Amino acid sequence: MGEQESTYTSNHRTKALALSIIPGLGQVYNRQWIKGIVFFILTASFFIAFSDLLQYGFWGLFTLGIDPKFDHSITLLVEGILAVIVTVLGFGIYALNLRDAFKVGKQRDANETPNSVRQQYQNLVGGGFPYLMMTPGFLLLIFVVIFPILFVILLSFTNYDLYHSPPANLVDWIGFQNFIDIFRIPIWRETFFSVLAWTVIWTFGATTLQIGLGIFLAVLMNQKEIKFQKLIRTIFILPWAVPAFVSILVFAGMFNETFGTINNDILSIFGLGNIPWLTNPTYTKIALIMIQTWLGFPFIFAMVTGVLQSIPSELYEAAEVDGATIMQKFRSITLPLVLYATAPILITQYTFNFNNFNVIFLFNGGGPAVAGQNAGGTDILISWIYSLTVSSAQYGKAAAITMILSLIVIVVALWQFKKTKSFQEEDMM
Amino acid sequence: MKRWLSVLLIAFLAVGLLAACAPEREQEAEGSGTDGESSEEGSTDETAEKPDKLVVWEDKDKGVGLEPAIESFEEEYGIEVEYKELNMSDKMREQLRLDGPAGTGPDVLTLPHDQIGQLAIEGLISPIEVDSSVTEKFTESSIQAQTYDGQLYGLPKATETPVFIYNKEHMDKAPESFDELYEFSQNFGGDKEYGFLALWDNFYFGNAIMAGYGGYVFGDDNGAANPQDLGLNNEGAIEGAKYIQKWYEDVFPAGIVGESGGSAKDGLFQDGDVASMMDGPWAYQALNEAGIDYGVSPLPELPNGEYPQTFIGVKGWHVSAQSENQEWSTKLVEHLTNAENAKIRYEKTDEIPPVKSLMEDPIIADNEKANAVAVQSQRGTPMPNIPEMGEVWEPMAQALQVIATGKASPEEALNEAQDTVKTNIELNHSGN
Repeated sequence: MGEQESTYTSNHRTKALALSIIPGLGQVYNRQWIKGIVFFILTASFFIAFSDLLQYGFWGLFTLGIDPKFDHSITLLVEGILAVIVTVLGFGIYALNLRDAFKVGKQRDANETPNSVRQQYQNLVGGGFPYLMMTPGFLLLIFVVIFPILFVILLSFTNYDLYHSPPANLVDWIGFQNFIDIFRIPIWRETFFSVLAWTVIWTFGATTLQIGLGIFLAVLMNQKEIKFQKLIRTIFILPWAVPAFVSILVFAGMFNETFGTINNDILSIFGLGNIPWLTNPTYTKIALIMIQTWLGFPFIFAMVTGVLQSIPSELYEAAEVDGATIMQKFRSITLPLVLYATAPILITQYTFNFNNFNVIFLFNGGGPAVAGQNAGGTDILISWIYSLTVSSAQYGKAAAITMILSLIVIVVALWQFKKTKSFQEEDMM
Repeated sequence: MKRWLSVLLIAFLAVGLLAACAPEREQEAEGSGTDGESSEEGSTDETAEKPDKLVVWEDKDKGVGLEPAIESFEEEYGIEVEYKELNMSDKMREQLRLDGPAGTGPDVLTLPHDQIGQLAIEGLISPIEVDSSVTEKFTESSIQAQTYDGQLYGLPKATETPVFIYNKEHMDKAPESFDELYEFSQNFGGDKEYGFLALWDNFYFGNAIMAGYGGYVFGDDNGAANPQDLGLNNEGAIEGAKYIQKWYEDVFPAGIVGESGGSAKDGLFQDGDVASMMDGPWAYQALNEAGIDYGVSPLPELPNGEYPQTFIGVKGWHVSAQSENQEWSTKLVEHLTNAENAKIRYEKTDEIPPVKSLMEDPIIADNEKANAVAVQSQRGTPMPNIPEMGEVWEPMAQALQVIATGKASPEEALNEAQDTVKTNIELNHSGN
């Protein structure tokens, strides 16, 4: 290894590259024996270990089985996805092998000394160290994040439901039929749009209220004139400290029409006491938005309080000298600085509420039921998907709706993130 | 040049790899197919051969009732039986879906009968063949509950149905009729105290009244439920719903309506504010713990002279479709449900077996709680076990909710519910 090359006219790079079609051969040609052997063993073991998976995997992925007696479509689908992932990883290693052979060949053409084993090792440990450390995490990521995403995407193009369930039956690819059905069959279309409309109202209503309340209280608590600031702040954080599902279940009891304390003890003072909180969709929606506001504001409150304390007081002093009113100070100094610092988190609050399954499901199970649609009156997309899979076994349709939902969230989040000043380079202060 | 050369090479290789392997894969798959076939055939040929052991999945905390039966089976046939406890209502089905096809599932398992249709369609449980002398031992309704699509899918092990539970502090004995009960409730107690409570906005309970008046869920088509024939808004159903509405108007509070109504009702009864209620045997334990002195009886007679037709739930023993020992598994199911073992199981678990001879046995007939359930079961109808039933609960609960809160007339609400059920059955169960 590391032998000098004497000719300029040599074409080691192409030869090494061509030989590397069989991994390791190019390296051997470059006289990097150990590296060559490593590549060769890696490739050989890849084929030995995965040959079954690759053979069955792709076949299963394309056909989803041909005979329900032996083929379990969903297992085949899973194996198919694994085969795809393994193939991509394999191609990655293969490309690495080609690139390496070509690079070393080029070094030889240029009469440079290729790295010795020790240098290669140092390169790997020095330059490659971060990558080395990332690898286990990255592999895990592939299986816990990318794998399920691929599974849902593929599922949305199948007819997987009760009557196409293995082991009795096979699942088939049906292209975009699920998506077409959702928009073409009246009951699906009507349900989808009414659920989507409420999901949007819910997202904007609940999130905006919780953000508004959080900022308002934080600014209020930041006034120097207020006494017992620490005590009051602690109290405001409390809703955050109690696990949300406990609070929601307690709220469900409090909102009971006849026995709940809201109707009996609080509203009866004002002469109102018969509000059908859980049986009328409109009131259930109002109750849900109020509960989410209550659950969500402490987080915003805590965060904004932190930001407020970092705003230099000179800004306010200067504004006072200029004779600014309280509102002007708030609008021109506090609000822009707070929003600038917290915008990305506020956006995630919106996306969080868009998929806030807990509140909807635990408060009233998506109910009360409404006529003419196959979702409850307060079902948001995510809770509708839940009931589709759990009670109607409409897995394919549910996957298709999940895809639509993800698309909405991704597009909105990307657009918002791009528009926010926080992601631009310029400085605000 | 070098860049596109390498890209070209990779692409060439990728195509080559895929193209080269495609036919091979096909062959491999076919090979595995024939392999599977031959082994399958082998196992069917050898069904007479005894397996080393059989695996049973039993409901959570019910293993005590199973152990004696397993012991006698092991003694008699020399086949080891292993059992595992799983929560029957949800966990059992989920686990079977994964373990069954993977070959690590049970041979015999227990299920609530309303899941039979779904699991039979999915191909997870298989029909069993037993002599008519075996099925004759069970009540007719319990065998009907185990039958799907004309085939017997298991043998019943326990039955349950809602009954009339009364607080002995407020009521000396159960009333004979609902008219009597209505009278009693009108005069009973003060504010927030009730003579009778029932969750009739939940179709599981509400159907008892509607069916008592002549409503039905699915029409009968030679012993099989016909999902095209719905009787949810026929005259009887509407009359029943009107009777339900009357109770909500005059007696029941609005607070027991809806999802959280059950806990409101239970809380009131356990506090002693309610004289009587309609609930299932599963409520006994909480009442015992709350220290309530209660009595149990079948439900009283409706004003039209009929008894409420409660939904019966039947738990049964089934054979997994993936079990390699179909014949011996069936034998085990027969053994577990025979009169002797059913009696032992009843003594250990208090779950009532729908075995005719035991219904008259003093062990049940003289036990107030068991007898009430047994008598009421004979008046009820088994919950439909076809998967179309899944589309009925939600719209009917909604209809009964608006009827209970007086927001719609029974006709309107039931017509709408029937339409929704019909659409959803067409949508989700067209079976293509």
